[in-house]
Amino acid sequence: MNDLSVTDGALVAVRDVSKAFVGVQALDGVNLSVERGQIHALLGENGAGKSTLIKILTGVHRPDSGTVLLNGTARHFRTPREAIAAGIGVVHQERNLITRFSVAENITLEDPPTRFGLFDEAAAVTATRRWLDLLHLDTDPRTPVSRLSVAQIQLVEIAKALSLESRFLLLDEPTSSLTPHETGTLFSVLRRLAADGVSILFVSHKLEEVFDLCTHVTVLRDGRNACESRPLAGMTRADVVRLMIGRDEVAFAAPAIGARFGPPALELRGVATALGHRDIALQAHRGEILGLYGLVGAGRSELARAIIGAAKVTAGEVLIDGVAVKIRDVTEAVRRFGIGYVSEDRKAEGLILEHDVAANISATIWHRLRGFLGFVSDRMQNAVAAPFVRSLDIRTPSLAQRVGNLSGGNQQKVSVAKWLAAGSRILIVDEPTVGIDIRSKAYLHDLILSLAREGAAVIVISSDMPELVALADRIAVMKDFRIVDTFDNARNYTAASQRIMRAIHG
Amino acid sequence: MRWLRGALRTDWLGLAAVVVLGGAALAAVRPEFLTPYNIDVILVGFCLTVVYALGQGIIIAIGHMNLALGATGCLVAVAFGGAMQVWGLPVWLAVLFGLLIGTFCGFVNGWLTHKSGLTSFIITLATLSIFKGVSLGITQAQPFYGIPESVKAFGSDRWGALPEMLLVALPIVIAVALFLGRMIPGRQMLAYGGNPNAAELSGISRARMVILAHTLSGVLAAVAGMMSVARLQIATPTIGDEWLIASFAAPVIGGAVLSGGHLSVIGTCLGVLIVSLINQALVMLAVDPFYVQVLLGLLILGAVVLNRLREARLGTAPVLRLS
Repeated sequence: MNDLSVTDGALVAVRDVSKAFVGVQALDGVNLSVERGQIHALLGENGAGKSTLIKILTGVHRPDSGTVLLNGTARHFRTPREAIAAGIGVVHQERNLITRFSVAENITLEDPPTRFGLFDEAAAVTATRRWLDLLHLDTDPRTPVSRLSVAQIQLVEIAKALSLESRFLLLDEPTSSLTPHETGTLFSVLRRLAADGVSILFVSHKLEEVFDLCTHVTVLRDGRNACESRPLAGMTRADVVRLMIGRDEVAFAAPAIGARFGPPALELRGVATALGHRDIALQAHRGEILGLYGLVGAGRSELARAIIGAAKVTAGEVLIDGVAVKIRDVTEAVRRFGIGYVSEDRKAEGLILEHDVAANISATIWHRLRGFLGFVSDRMQNAVAAPFVRSLDIRTPSLAQRVGNLSGGNQQKVSVAKWLAAGSRILIVDEPTVGIDIRSKAYLHDLILSLAREGAAVIVISSDMPELVALADRIAVMKDFRIVDTFDNARNYTAASQRIMRAIHG
Repeated sequence: MRWLRGALRTDWLGLAAVVVLGGAALAAVRPEFLTPYNIDVILVGFCLTVVYALGQGIIIAIGHMNLALGATGCLVAVAFGGAMQVWGLPVWLAVLFGLLIGTFCGFVNGWLTHKSGLTSFIITLATLSIFKGVSLGITQAQPFYGIPESVKAFGSDRWGALPEMLLVALPIVIAVALFLGRMIPGRQMLAYGGNPNAAELSGISRARMVILAHTLSGVLAAVAGMMSVARLQIATPTIGDEWLIASFAAPVIGGAVLSGGHLSVIGTCLGVLIVSLINQALVMLAVDPFYVQVLLGLLILGAVVLNRLREARLGTAPVLRLS
């Protein structure tokens, strides 16, 4: 039943795998091979293609071309279930437990023990205890997962993957919530498994862990191999970082204007939020682009949500134009304080895809447009939208076109336009160029720059380091819901990227 | 003391207290509440309502809804009546026929919901209209009166003080509780309802869960439809018209989460009792019956808010929704 049994050589191999999503080449001819008993690191910046590769290995996505080989045999997983059945154990980055179920039932969910056709809790508890003990997790297997701490939940996820006794274990950021002690326990378990011949693919942003645990490394950059299955021995930290971020050219660089910015339009002093931010100090000046860098899960978008009043600020002060304010909800942020938020998730939060261009752009100011008896006419909406469509060069056949029919780049322009229409003086742009073609990307960079230079305070959140270094006047680095570094950006890519990496990777 | 702590943590103890205290209060104010006749009315109502409430509850458990529940019951009721009156089928064959139709209706709901990728709301809204239309078309809106004596007897006979219909309702309650609590497909359904993605990554088939839940809902609707025929002594195409609100109210009052993942069978039973207690109270206190619906609506709202608060406290539901 398990395809990953004997034979030597690469247990899992990825050959020339490519995968494109609408408009974006996520993977381009990627190779990877993990030998039996090897602990192999998969590294890359956000957007380098790691998650796509993981999703292909686990049957969530199917490659456009190329093959996945298990034990030398090409396999095509159509569903996650097929990957599990083939013997691939996975700890996903996002939590995947049923919170109302007990620890034991979660761990045995793939193949629950039964007695007379009924779920056998006692047997599940016994089976589970072994894996919990292995990880030194002292929790009653009957406890519902909803009562566990974040670290315990992560350990349960790991125990669940171990319990499948797979010959190949894929761990995506398994230590993000663990203490150093728990991490140490996990690593000794993984080493023991590797000694027994289990192959492990380890994905982590923590380079010290990679050097501690792994013997080989594959680095992805822009959807391609920056290196393939190279022994880590002899490589330094700097070598790995260079492979991760090394780039020959920086496409676009905003002219620096020095430190002559106006007063801070938005300032956070010692802000803590209900989402877990602590001691956030941040200033965004008029005329300035503040870059906010951080890995996925660092709390950047969540901070944006707190600023626009969608999440609660629990301590500290938020100042707008030097005056301490309390932003109670999003409506107030938009109408009273002129804060605009261009969401990273255009489709879910930024735009109403079913509505036309004019309605999307004017939605933020309907309350001002409202005419006789509260009606908003097409004519009024068009009058608002037309200038922006022209000035932002939004390629649309008409103002009545459904936004869902526009290209990604043009959709993004519409979502910026709606905040321009609202007259936002503070604009937070979250991942402005994800999934956008190169030409629109350059245009959006120009647009963000000119908005700032015309006096808006712009905060750009991006995981694209070259973009941020090219665009931002100052860069703040976030990690674990805190600001760990803030510095003036001289637009020197090497210096800036090294400083950012240092701030994040310690 | 351990059992007491365990009991306090369940979501039905408070409801049981409401039923007992509410019943006692009503009996104190209106002694006629405890007459054998009145208790009998409540029990018969309970037998019927609990079956279709669980039919809805099973769907709620996977985070879906079945608006066609009543229409399915109606279609089965008239098919059951028609099969016996027009075709002259023996009772046992007619019951089998009814169950088959209910199974089919539920399967169609589940299959369409799965295949179309649309919400069950819109699918069952459409099938509600279809099933209802077929029922009215078959009967030309006239009831079938030719119901065999044995069926009528089942609806009206008492076993001591207890209605014979308990012989169907009680096993169904126990079966559903066992199914969701201990049987693997039931556990998988709850896992799917609690977190569809996680369930799928654990090898639980989305298609199977959706189709299974809807099919079971159809079966329970069929049982309730035929019980209605026995109770009313006729197979009329108005059966099922009033099921919708109670079918949601009872599970939700019982602690079910509309987004899926949890259904308390005991809670649902108590929910049914609370709904009928309120109906009784309002009648006995001579409140305008039209306002009974208002109170029922308020009760649903209250129960939903209460569940939401409890979920937030347990940390099982996000207090604030993030992307």
